[in-house]
Amino acid sequence: MSECVLFVQAQGDSRVVEVVVPEKVSESALLARLKELGMLGAPNLLVFVDEAEDQVRGEVDRPVEGVRHGARVHITGCRRIGVAVHYLEKTVERDFAPGARVRNVKAWAVREFHLDHKDAAEHVLQLCESAERPSGDTPLHTLLHGGCALCFNLVPEKRVEGAF
Amino acid sequence: MRALLQSRSREARRRCVLSVVAAPDLLLLQRHLISPEFRLGQVEGRWRHVATSWPYVTIAVSAAMRPNAPTEYGFRFLCSGYPQLAVTCQPWDLETNSALAFSHWPTGRAIVPSVFRVEWKGGVCLYIPCDRLSIEGHVNWSQEHRSRLWDPTRGIVCYLEQLYELLNQNDYTGVRCS
Repeated sequence: MSECVLFVQAQGDSRVVEVVVPEKVSESALLARLKELGMLGAPNLLVFVDEAEDQVRGEVDRPVEGVRHGARVHITGCRRIGVAVHYLEKTVERDFAPGARVRNVKAWAVREFHLDHKDAAEHVLQLCESAERPSGDTPLHTLLHGGCALCFNLVPEKRVEGAF
Repeated sequence: MRALLQSRSREARRRCVLSVVAAPDLLLLQRHLISPEFRLGQVEGRWRHVATSWPYVTIAVSAAMRPNAPTEYGFRFLCSGYPQLAVTCQPWDLETNSALAFSHWPTGRAIVPSVFRVEWKGGVCLYIPCDRLSIEGHVNWSQEHRSRLWDPTRGIVCYLEQLYELLNQNDYTGVRCS
């Protein structure tokens, strides 16, 4: 049976762990493999594949939807992540799947704030009360530090400037 | 005479072994090039390792589709002292294995050209805070661009992520002279 490599990320941790599973791994087998690796130690942890809205429930005969070579698997305590984005005096809010990427949050915020193409290109998401500007590929749950909510400011991208 | 030759041969082998073992920066780079973080970028098509010719490593980074522009750019990184010393990176022509002609450097409206400055140090590095050569003399960058600084624990991935972001944002418009 052919195998595929999954890249597993746990909540609040930017590190990535590679896990090899059969190509048509069942939900129960995937959860068992993650437990075996000590990645599902705490109670109430949920598992999601890529940006899926639904968690892997652990059904015995059901293949995990979305599993393919290179898929990301997310281990998190949050079923959804509440996101607030501030821009000037305005704020927009909505929930995202734990594996949703920062890039998608920005695209949504840009639409909500009606930014034109040029302004959108010159703004980035920065975590509130932080100087951290996560890359577009960052899954949301890896940015959590307690709770299931994230706050961003949509701020102008700083040009790199200095003495030549 | 035979004993002398054998002795020299053993000495040559010993020196050879020592020279391989004595490059911890190369070993640490190799470790990062097989790390899950680097492999994830490869599997997702964000970048690919082209070649390692110590102390250099050449990596291609994917770029968004633009008219008359390539779908990836080559970069050659100088990695001596890795990862405690930041790397420095130069746009690289993968076909000729030489520095990329300035006319083929990526550009954009505001952000991308602020990093890809052909006039900066003769084009041997990028104007970005995670670059070894460019951070010199820019003490303000440590405060102003904390997200863009070199991080020895993440190594070359932190540089590659920034290049990928630059080449896949709306600000990027293609090559300088298309």
